[in-house]
Amino acid sequence: MREVTATVLENKRIADEIYSLTFATEEEIRVRPGQFVMVGVGGFPLRRPIAVCKAEGDRVTVCYRLKGAGTRTLARDYRMGEKLSVLMPLGNGFYVKENEKKIAVVGGGVGIFPLISAIREYSKNRQVYAYMGFRNRAAVCMEYDMTRGEKLVIATDDGSAGFHGTSVQAFMQDVDMVCPDVVLACGPTPMLRALKVAMKGRVIPVYVSLEERMGCGIGACLVCVCEKTDGAHARVCKDGPVFDVRDVVL
Amino acid sequence: MADLSVELCGVKLKNPVIPASGTFGFGREFDEIYDISCLGAVATKGIALVPWSGNPVPRIAESRGVILNAVGLQNPGVEKFIAEDLPWLKQKTRVVANVVGRTFEDYEGVCARLNGLVDFLELNISCPNVKSGGMAFGIRPETIEEVTARAKGRCPDTPLIVKLSPNVESIARNAQAAERGGADALSLVNTFTGLAIDIERRRPVLANNTGGVSGAGIKPIAVRMVYEAAHAVAIPVIGMGGITCAEDAVEFLMAGAVAVQVGTQNFTDTRACPKIIAGLNAWCDAHGVARVRELTDTLQFNG
Repeated sequence: MREVTATVLENKRIADEIYSLTFATEEEIRVRPGQFVMVGVGGFPLRRPIAVCKAEGDRVTVCYRLKGAGTRTLARDYRMGEKLSVLMPLGNGFYVKENEKKIAVVGGGVGIFPLISAIREYSKNRQVYAYMGFRNRAAVCMEYDMTRGEKLVIATDDGSAGFHGTSVQAFMQDVDMVCPDVVLACGPTPMLRALKVAMKGRVIPVYVSLEERMGCGIGACLVCVCEKTDGAHARVCKDGPVFDVRDVVL
Repeated sequence: MADLSVELCGVKLKNPVIPASGTFGFGREFDEIYDISCLGAVATKGIALVPWSGNPVPRIAESRGVILNAVGLQNPGVEKFIAEDLPWLKQKTRVVANVVGRTFEDYEGVCARLNGLVDFLELNISCPNVKSGGMAFGIRPETIEEVTARAKGRCPDTPLIVKLSPNVESIARNAQAAERGGADALSLVNTFTGLAIDIERRRPVLANNTGGVSGAGIKPIAVRMVYEAAHAVAIPVIGMGGITCAEDAVEFLMAGAVAVQVGTQNFTDTRACPKIIAGLNAWCDAHGVARVRELTDTLQFNG
């Protein structure tokens, strides 16, 4: 975990309300799939937590949705060459065991971006089946980066592209045929909840990456907690963002 | 190179910069970014007699120049602190153990348990985010005096700092009440109670509805309150509220503070505290100030 001054290489709109920001760090910083960064935006007291989509050498790409004043400022003011204060890498990231050779990734909304880092990493030596959900055709992006695995299913809520329905529905149609060793998921809480319910009774482990409003991003302030099934609170930024779906209340 | 050391209740700090309670955990996470032994002291996360789970999420919101938090004093309890964090933190720097409670007995219990084990105790009677306890003790002078006296009775060997709420009628009267109760020092201000609204949902952003406002935007109010408190009592005052840089810290010192705490800025800039320490040194050098402690209470009001 480091605080670095990065240089913006590219910050562009890639879909409806979605931006892709690529920056260079002074030296290579190893990032695991599912880890995130905290990006400082000038004039705002809080950094913005954003999942890493790609990390290659000293280049890191994160994707974000325009949500409020902070992300709008990030999209508008941080052009090529601008300096950016970044805390990274943060969180535990995904964990896949050596013997888990067949991986399913199920994503929705901005939850697809950390899964892209998982597809890129794990498709090198394992079979990856991807189920990615979008609102509609205009929201679909980064298809090329998602096609590295064995299979990619695009799902849209309105059926304007690919499977008509959610990524969870698309995945559940395939699950018995694919028989994945592990499932990695990220997306809105209702989507993760639907996945948890659908996978109940199966022995396939499911790991979910959670999102929460954060303060420090490094585990000190106890702002971004989630409730665990044993009643305790876990820190999404430090103990997560990836949890075994059985351990958290969704 | 200016002398940055200050003395607080007979305890020497290498500099007057202390990360504020609740923004710094017990120091371990920030120590991964920089060596926290450079700090004058560390004010810990609020510590209760038993573990507290805190409030539902969302616990944080942002507004222009400020944040609102309603963490609700989630903490692992005093025994876990003593076993797992205190030995490590003590070998780093001075320890200000922030104490929270819901009853008089809670405060007494934690103070008794930590008496002699830490460098300072800081009585948090000013948290706006818990329903019972916290700020309930910190509003009226009578309860401030009573809780201070009862806590001080159980920690005779450790200096007791009372952390005051700004959500009060008279900060001067409350400062005097803590002094009468036997406080060895005061710290202020804790957060201002605020409300941020998500206008699309027509609901508060925070699950707790209201939260404590902190950050750069509160600084002028905090400086004024530190001035009023420092001039109402004889005991030393630690100033805080919206400090983002060394120049802000100098304002609090001039207003009457002996040391300062830095809170929200730790989120904005993880290295805020060491930068403020370096900045204080540079400011003193540039202004011919040999010892930072000479800045305390040097404000001259217009006639």
